Formats: sequence, structure tokens, C-alpha cells
Amino acid sequence: MASSAPPPALTLPPSQFARLQPHAYLLAHLSPPAASNQPSLRANGRQPAQFRPTSANTGSLTHTNGSAVVRVGDTTAVCGVRAELLPTSDIASWSVSHASSGAKHRQNTTKNDADADADESQIQDLNLLVPNLSLSTGCAPGFVPGAPPSALAQSLSHQILGLLHSTRLVRAEDLRVWYQVPSFGGDGDMDVDADDEGQKKKNDGKEIKAFWVLYIDIMIISLAGNAFDAAWAAVLAALRDTRLPRAWWDADNEMVVCSETVAEATRLSLRGLPIASSFCVFEADAAAGWRAVIVPDAEEEKKIEEDQRRGMQRRWILADPDGYEEGLSQERVCLVVDREMGKTVIVKMEKNGGWAVDGRELKQLVDIAAERWESLKLILEQC
Amino acid sequence: MTDRRRINGPPSGTRPAVFASSLKSASGAATERPRRHRQPNELRKIFLKTGLIPSASGSAYLEYEPSASLAAARSSPQSLIPPSSALKLACTVHGPKPLPRSATFSPNLVLTTHVKYAPFAARQRKGHIRDASERDLGVHLETALRGVIVAERWPKSGLDITITILEAEDDRWWGDAPDSHDAPWGMMNVLAGCITAASAAIADARIDCLDLVAGGVAAIVSDDAAAEEGNSSTPKLMLDTDPAEHKSILSACVVAYMPARDEITEIWLKGDHSKASLGVDDSSLGHEALIDGAVNAARGAHTVLVEAVRESAERYAGLSNSDS
Repeated sequence: MASSAPPPALTLPPSQFARLQPHAYLLAHLSPPAASNQPSLRANGRQPAQFRPTSANTGSLTHTNGSAVVRVGDTTAVCGVRAELLPTSDIASWSVSHASSGAKHRQNTTKNDADADADESQIQDLNLLVPNLSLSTGCAPGFVPGAPPSALAQSLSHQILGLLHSTRLVRAEDLRVWYQVPSFGGDGDMDVDADDEGQKKKNDGKEIKAFWVLYIDIMIISLAGNAFDAAWAAVLAALRDTRLPRAWWDADNEMVVCSETVAEATRLSLRGLPIASSFCVFEADAAAGWRAVIVPDAEEEKKIEEDQRRGMQRRWILADPDGYEEGLSQERVCLVVDREMGKTVIVKMEKNGGWAVDGRELKQLVDIAAERWESLKLILEQC
Repeated sequence: MTDRRRINGPPSGTRPAVFASSLKSASGAATERPRRHRQPNELRKIFLKTGLIPSASGSAYLEYEPSASLAAARSSPQSLIPPSSALKLACTVHGPKPLPRSATFSPNLVLTTHVKYAPFAARQRKGHIRDASERDLGVHLETALRGVIVAERWPKSGLDITITILEAEDDRWWGDAPDSHDAPWGMMNVLAGCITAASAAIADARIDCLDLVAGGVAAIVSDDAAAEEGNSSTPKLMLDTDPAEHKSILSACVVAYMPARDEITEIWLKGDHSKASLGVDDSSLGHEALIDGAVNAARGAHTVLVEAVRESAERYAGLSNSDS
């Protein structure tokens, strides 16, 4: 019996090999031997430019003005938008700054584009958008719950804030609570003392009494790579879902009062639909990240091109990396694109960690991101 | 001091929106307190699913069925003020993993629990840093689970249990909020949910347990419908109470209960139950009836728990078959 079967050779199940030799494992998947006739696929079975299946669901949280759950593969982001009021009387520098910005505002009321300048500055100056991302939800083993936000969480929060500001997604006009000052007495009197009393009253008797502040809180419930894309999609979906109650200044109570009727609540009118897509670069050379960075000279470039012609690929650009792939790559590219009237607009382009992606490849990535924009737009519109 | 690791809002702070209907106190009866449509011993349905978070060794997501009033408000929204809310929480288990080098030797599994409300979980915005009530919930949860886990099987290791509450139960009906200084009854429902979800997540992580522990809530409420009719309001025992649906809760009780061993690992009883004599012929003390009610509620939750854990075991069996 002992002689009937030789002792089995030392074999490892794929999952263990993936843990022991992650780089070789992914490389073997991406560059299968030519004889095997297998397509070059990632370890997770996706094409290099394929994104994970995405789903979105909005409006399921009761205590929010707008909420969304976005799942990108195994990464899940929950975003809740809560609106609170910031009365202008609470803003320390309001009476000073308002006079100047009000003047600018009035000059440009006819032109929408110029008006945007005043909009943007008010949202930024008064911190009307407050995004915070939390990773300490037990989403992945590395993050200690109860600890202050990790560097990654802080950086993601600031990227989202920066993107909210630079895309000017939310219009400041949606966040303003106006008050029509009743005109006691004739118009002639108004004109006389308007010059002394400042700019406020000249603005057709309208003044801003309060601003809505949107607290955008993102909880990453499950993290399996590419948190930014999921978080940004969740923010976008939640903002599209957000309704602000109709608010007015109640002169008797001297406070801003809201109407609870749903029919009177207004949705935010967002500017465009910027959608983020992230990529990472996987190098066949395992030690690429360790070497001193040298710009490849012309000879080397020629060699790489020759290799590529012969079908020997040295690097792969992987769309929507999962946690496993993120750990194996140094270079990241993040593109945020929008499409307006059939034209792709690059809203943000960020690339760091290496030299591999050049202008030509970035152009291809923009095309891939534009395709992603189309598919994600459908998903966001359906939810 | 401002939190420099987070993005802070306007330095002067912001105020939550005040609705016009809540200002008119005299005619404020436009919206009514949601009514309980369930029988006194009828529980809300529980949605419990394991394994939604693949990076954790065990995970569970728990959701209570929205009450009838909330479901109606969802399907045809009239008011921006939600009548009540339904519990939603996610629980992850990481470990057993080696303790850090700096930790002292422990012959047992070291259990740590974190309960955190999402900032948008409750009617009032919650802070990012855990407050005292959240820490309190964590301690209660730890005592409930410590009696269940067979801790001596994992010496020198730690187990982290993290619960994120996405939507909490209300402490009382929102219309009562300004003038009542009631105990936070919603916390007790949250704790019961935490216990059930954590139990499922621990089973999903394949940690040895004595039994599946389930949480249950019962409360003695004085029914306002009887009070309106002029009767002396007889307090009643209700299982799985939604605090928004009752005018006054006299006392409430949460238990963590193991049905197979008929053991209680955690009990939290709050309020005045001495006055409550439940029925004329029932001479049993209020607190015993209350604990029995909570145990019955836990038995109900246990049936859901068993289904969820079976599903998790089947998934695991399928996974290991396909692997080899």
C-alpha cells in the first residue's frame, strides 16, 4: 500500500500561493505562457481595463437630507448628507465681506458664468461643504477603530473637499436663504439712505439671512481597494438625492424657519457629473519600486518598444485596482472626467509614484474614463 | 479645540433646521405620534446577513423592519420629518490575531468592542469622536459577548469587534423631545441589535462559542389610548418596543440570552417598575415579567440568527469545496 502511490508533490492551493508570492502570482496571471493559449487576465478575472461591477442605492437613511450606498466590487461606501443652517449673524466677518461680494454679485447678475466666481468663493470662504471620510469602521484589518483618522482617511477627505471645490459641483445659490426686506415707506427714501447704509439694501431689498451647510459624511463600510472612486461616487449620488427644505426668515422669531412639506423642498442643481476612475500600474519587474528612479533614456525606450512589439509586455495599467493589486503597484493615476455635449472634459488628473504612464497612455486612459463615465451615469440615474 | 485631523465646518458652528410646525405648539397636532400596529408580543422583522465585508474575518449587517408609519412615510413622502426610524448597523470581527508585543500576557482571548454611531445616524448630528454613551454601549456589548466566547482556546490573541450604527432608534417621539427628560430608551434597542449582529459576525468568523447569543428588549409602557378613555392607565408589557410609538415608557430591559443553555449573559434594566402590577391576578413582580418578556424577544431574534448563521456556514462549506 505504501508503494502504490508516491507521496504527493508539494502543492499549494492558489489562495496560498497568492499570499506567499503576490507579485509572481499576479504576473503569472497577466502574462500566461504563450503555449497555454490563455488570455492575459488579472488575478481577479478582470480584463486590465475592466472595472468592477458597481451598484448604487439612494435615499435609504432616514435621518439624512440625502444618502447613498455605493458598492464597487467589495468596496462599500455609505454617504449621508445632513444640512444645517449657518445664520449670517453668526459669521464674524459677514457685514464686512458681504458688502464687497454683494457689489460684485449685483454687477454680474445678468451673466451666469461670471456669477460663478462669487459662488465659488462663498462656498470656500464660509466652509459650506464639510466632507469627512471615516475608515475606522472595521472596514479592513489595518485600521484601528476609535483611533483618530488615519493618514489615508485624512487624505481622502481632503481630496473630496478639493474636488468639490474645484468642480464647483454645488451652486452657492442653492445654499442661500434669502429674505426680502419689506420696504416701509416710499422708494425715494430708500434711495437716499441706501448710499450711507451700505450695499445691502440696494440689492432690491434682498439680503442673505443664512446659508445651508452640507455635512457630507462618508463611512467606508468595506474596503477592498480604490476607496476614492467609491467614496466620490457615493458623494455624487447622495448630493443628487439631497433635498433642502424651503427655508425663510421669520422676522417675529428672528430665526430661520423651514417648511416640512416635501413638495416644497428643492433638490440641489448640481453642475455636471464628474466621475472618478483610478488606475494603477503593475510592473513586471518586482524590484521596480526599490530601484533609484532613473528616467529611461532613448536606448531603453527603444528596447521597451521592441519588447512590446514582440508581445512581451513589461507593465500593465489596471483599472479600478482591488486591495491586492493596490499593494503591488507604486504608480497611481486618478482621472476625474465629465462629459458635456459629447465632449470629454478632464476635471482632475493626478498621477504619482512612477514614470510608466506617459502622455500617449494618459490619452488612452481618458478614453477609458469616458467609457466609465457613461456606464456609471446609467447606474446613478437608475437609482 | 478644533479637530485638526478632520474637516471642520464653519467655526461658529451651525444650527439644525427648525421646522415651522414645531414652533406652533398650540396647533402642533398636525402630525400624530406613530402608533404601534403590532401585538404586544409581536416582534419586528429582522434582516440579518453575514459575510458582506470580505476583508474582515467575520461580518454581519442587521436591519429592523421599518414601522408601519415609517414605511408609509417612505412610500408617499409628505413631511421631511421622519415619524420614526429603524435600526441599521454593520458589525465586523477582526481576528483572532496576535496581541501586540507591548501587551501583557493573557491566557485568554482579549475581546475589544467598539460601537460608533455614524454622524447621520440620529436625529441630532453625532460627533466624530466616541462619546460616553457609545463607550457605554461598547462595555455592555463586551460583557454580553464575554460569557459566550470560549476564550481559553486562543491564548495571547485579540479579537476586535467593531459596530457602525448607520441609523439608530429614536429615544422618544420627536414631538415630545423639547420638554421630556426621559432616559434614552433607544439605546436599549440599539444594544439588543448590536448583540444579535455581533453574535452572527462572531459565528461568521468561526470563533468557538457556547451558543448563539441573541438580544431582546421588553418594556413596560403606560398605554396612552387607555388614558384618553379615562381609565387609570394600566401599564402593559410590550416586546421589542419602538420608543417613538409610546408616550411614556416606565421601564425597559435588555437581555443577552443563550436559548440552548437558558443563560443570560447581560442584563440591563432601567426605569421604575415597582408600581407596575401587570394585571390584577398577576402578582409577579414587575421586573420578573420584564425579564421574561425580554427573554422571549431574544428567543424570537434567535430564530433569525440561526438562519443567518446557517447561511454563513453553507457559504463557507461551498467556498472550501471549490478551493480544494
